[in-house]
Amino acid sequence: MALLALNLNHPAKFFDWGFVSVSIPNLIMIGLIVVLFVLALVVPFPTHKEDGK
Amino acid sequence: MSTKERNVDLAKWSGPKRPYDLVKELVIALVVVTLLIGACAAVFGSPDERAVTLQQWGQNAPSDFVATATGELAGSTISAGYGAPYNDAAEGLTLGPLKLQKWAGITIPVNPAEDFVLKPLKSSIDSAVPTAVATWSAASADQQAKWAEDYAAAIEKAGDSAKVVEDAAYGPVPVMTAALLHLAQEGSLDGLLTTEVTPLPSDFTMPLLFLADGGYFDELGAQQHLHGDQWGMMNETGSYPGQSWLWMFSFMYQIEPFKSSENADSQIFAMLFLLNLGFIFMPKLPLINRLPRLIPFHRLIWRRYYRENNL
Repeated sequence: MALLALNLNHPAKFFDWGFVSVSIPNLIMIGLIVVLFVLALVVPFPTHKEDGK
Repeated sequence: MSTKERNVDLAKWSGPKRPYDLVKELVIALVVVTLLIGACAAVFGSPDERAVTLQQWGQNAPSDFVATATGELAGSTISAGYGAPYNDAAEGLTLGPLKLQKWAGITIPVNPAEDFVLKPLKSSIDSAVPTAVATWSAASADQQAKWAEDYAAAIEKAGDSAKVVEDAAYGPVPVMTAALLHLAQEGSLDGLLTTEVTPLPSDFTMPLLFLADGGYFDELGAQQHLHGDQWGMMNETGSYPGQSWLWMFSFMYQIEPFKSSENADSQIFAMLFLLNLGFIFMPKLPLINRLPRLIPFHRLIWRRYYRENNL
């Protein structure tokens, strides 16, 4: 435990909006997933020199 | 499937081809993900919430423990009225005419008063316990219920079991619950309940059911935002990210009619089953199968193909 660079074993903070309640760690993960999804769409797929035509 | 669709499936591909090493990609993905998991584990560790014990409950919330033990004797707790797989006290979860829980049958018989209170008390060294248990066992079911219910009401009125004044109206219940509390506080009850089903302490059904009947465990869950009405299905203990992909399940528990339904679990499961069927049969659903024409998202994903083929 002492060797951990970042100890997350403490209560999380929550984002509350109406009946929606999301923990900040979950929000960060959801944000990362969205960013990865957008990157997968935008970043060009590696082309292959041996592409057949 | 129409003849046209079948022909498309059977026709030989005549467009451009290119080699693709799926195994290489799989190996690269495996290595990258393994390294990533190793790095994240080294930096962040993992959730390290210690198991809640009956000893901890007895020491931190003795009055709640005594009140719950009294509830077990009165047959008024969650597990006493749960139904299958523990007993036949309730019909349990249903889905319309389907009695899902009842049909599953009683596969793990649990009698809370007997299993959580009376059996463990046989190990008590308190000299008053054998007489108290004998008095309890000799009484009628109605008398037992009255003793336990009166004592439970007295605890609730006093706000603390320690403040309840002795009264013959409670019968042997105070002596029995006090002895059980003592067993819990010294740590014996954890061992006694985990070995009720199996000789080795590997079956936690009994202590978990007993623990879940009390307010102490419930409060610990609420503090960690783990309750169903707190989107708990998505959450993890501590500050770790949880199961955010269960947002749809979690969301449904927050809205009516599921929020106040006693059969929310089966109803939500059925709703998501239907939604998944919708995904599977999307190409066959009128209007829905036209959505790609209105929202041409696929053209963004395969933009190169559409550009190169002037489509």
